[in-house]
Amino acid sequence: MSSIRKQMLHYQQEQKPALIAFIMGLLPNEDLCLDCIKALEQGGCDILELGVPFTDPLADGEMIERFHHRGTKQGLNLKRGLEFAQRVKNSCNMPLILFTYYNPLYRMGLDKFMQEARAAGIEGLIVPDLPLDEMYVLKGYGMEIIPMLAPSSTDERVQMAAQQQAAFIYCVSVRGVTGMRNLPEQEIKDYLQRVRTDTRTPLALGFGISGPQQVETFRDYANAVVVGSYLARIIEEYEALPWLLPGQMEKAFLELSKAREDQHGSI
Amino acid sequence: MGARIYLKREDLNHTGSHKINNTLGQALLAKRMGKERLIAETGAGQHGVATATAAAVLGMKCTVYMGARDMQRQRLNVFRMRMLGAEVKEVSKGSQTLKDATNEAFRDFIQSFEYSHMLIGSAVGPHPYPMMVRDFQSVIGREVKEQFKNLEGRLPSYILACVGGGSNAIGIFYPFLKEEVKLIGVEAGGRGISPGEHCATLAKGDDGILHGALSRLLQDENGQILDTHSISAGLDYPGVGPEHAYLRESGRVSYVNVSDEEAINGFLKLSEYEGIIPALESAHAVAYAIKMAPELPTGSSLVINLSGRGDKDTEEVSRYLEERQEVL
Repeated sequence: MSSIRKQMLHYQQEQKPALIAFIMGLLPNEDLCLDCIKALEQGGCDILELGVPFTDPLADGEMIERFHHRGTKQGLNLKRGLEFAQRVKNSCNMPLILFTYYNPLYRMGLDKFMQEARAAGIEGLIVPDLPLDEMYVLKGYGMEIIPMLAPSSTDERVQMAAQQQAAFIYCVSVRGVTGMRNLPEQEIKDYLQRVRTDTRTPLALGFGISGPQQVETFRDYANAVVVGSYLARIIEEYEALPWLLPGQMEKAFLELSKAREDQHGSI
Repeated sequence: MGARIYLKREDLNHTGSHKINNTLGQALLAKRMGKERLIAETGAGQHGVATATAAAVLGMKCTVYMGARDMQRQRLNVFRMRMLGAEVKEVSKGSQTLKDATNEAFRDFIQSFEYSHMLIGSAVGPHPYPMMVRDFQSVIGREVKEQFKNLEGRLPSYILACVGGGSNAIGIFYPFLKEEVKLIGVEAGGRGISPGEHCATLAKGDDGILHGALSRLLQDENGQILDTHSISAGLDYPGVGPEHAYLRESGRVSYVNVSDEEAINGFLKLSEYEGIIPALESAHAVAYAIKMAPELPTGSSLVINLSGRGDKDTEEVSRYLEERQEVL
């Protein structure tokens, strides 16, 4: 069993959501990024989703897109992302998921990519521009492939995601791209419950998590929460003071960890 | 020696280019599907104008995404779109041209698809767009077939069209794929063959996936999409319609490219000789025709798809000539 599945199972038994951090690899710079990742783990992050900068990040909103473009302007790419993943793996214990658009994988060749990704210690993959219908191309390499759903997904798509028997399903909480304004709370809850009726696969909620408040709100509805743009905002705010940045990341996750605890004593 | 040259006058269409063939078709479909809003990406602005026009005539809302750099070099079309009631949104990210305008249009569509239709203007994007755009544009080729038969009682020997995404080219080629007619697509060779200086995707690209389709793509060895350059905003795109990639591979269509300078020359020559100002995009096909027509045997004929008119480009051309200190 992959350690991604183990983490999800652990938190299901604990009846609280696992915390997943999305961070763009190698930014603001390689060493600082690694320090941030270590700090996230200290703060209680359970799974790390590591982004690979791409020139045309269609699924990402302004904030994360800025990171993609900063990365590509520095010449970052999938090869550098894989090398960095190896460094991350050497200095922390969190299971590692790689977030990358499909063209770089296609260009490298799936066989070569999967081999190098596994060697780097990557256990899961999120490819936001690969439709559910084509996800089979990534199967058979011993990698956890994470399907995505959105509030607008039809029941047919929900069932397709359920049939993947994935480690978890990434439930996007917005109609749109990353970092966009959330739907009303009740609508997200209804959506998660609708997906829940079709699958026993754990559900991770992401794309619009703006802080501890939302972790608390959805802790009983999702098996995991993905935090990305929230961290990106902190990075942009503190990168001029790089010595303070890792501490801020840890603090952010300590608050999120606190928010996932059941504060009313029952479920 | 030399071929007789014919022009297929898509520039005489309402809105000034072949783009209206596709926008009216898709807008009618969108309307039937109950959509109330059209989203479009545009390079030169011809597709944007044609979408805005279709929206106006059918009483739909319209948002057009356009790269900041293209808005500058195609100001006339920006003004036309706004007059037609469309909202033109400037995209100042990435390359600030068609590729990033397309990214932005997709982002809009992802959140608004329940009431919006994304009206892609070229034979690119996910299925069924390349097929749908081809079918709407193939009216061009069907008309050529009929009209040419009336004129010469047979089919032309050659057909030339410029290729960016490739909508006008696939439109004129498609009805001739099974005929004994030589088909030539002309890509934008820009300032030269180094990466970032051209948009000759079929000549220099590799297999890749962008905007929902597997086709040829200008990319680096790590799969990052390369910047492109062309004097014509409408050809300034790192991808190409998947059917063109297929036709190139099967050998049915030949693809060549001409430089910015040659395109400008084509633009000026056609204006001067015929009193017809071609769009800079179409001028690429004109330029290649000028090169090849004298070499063809007597009695052969060549049709150029004059996909659009060039009023929009006069500013850009005069800027280009001034930079080179050439005066008309």
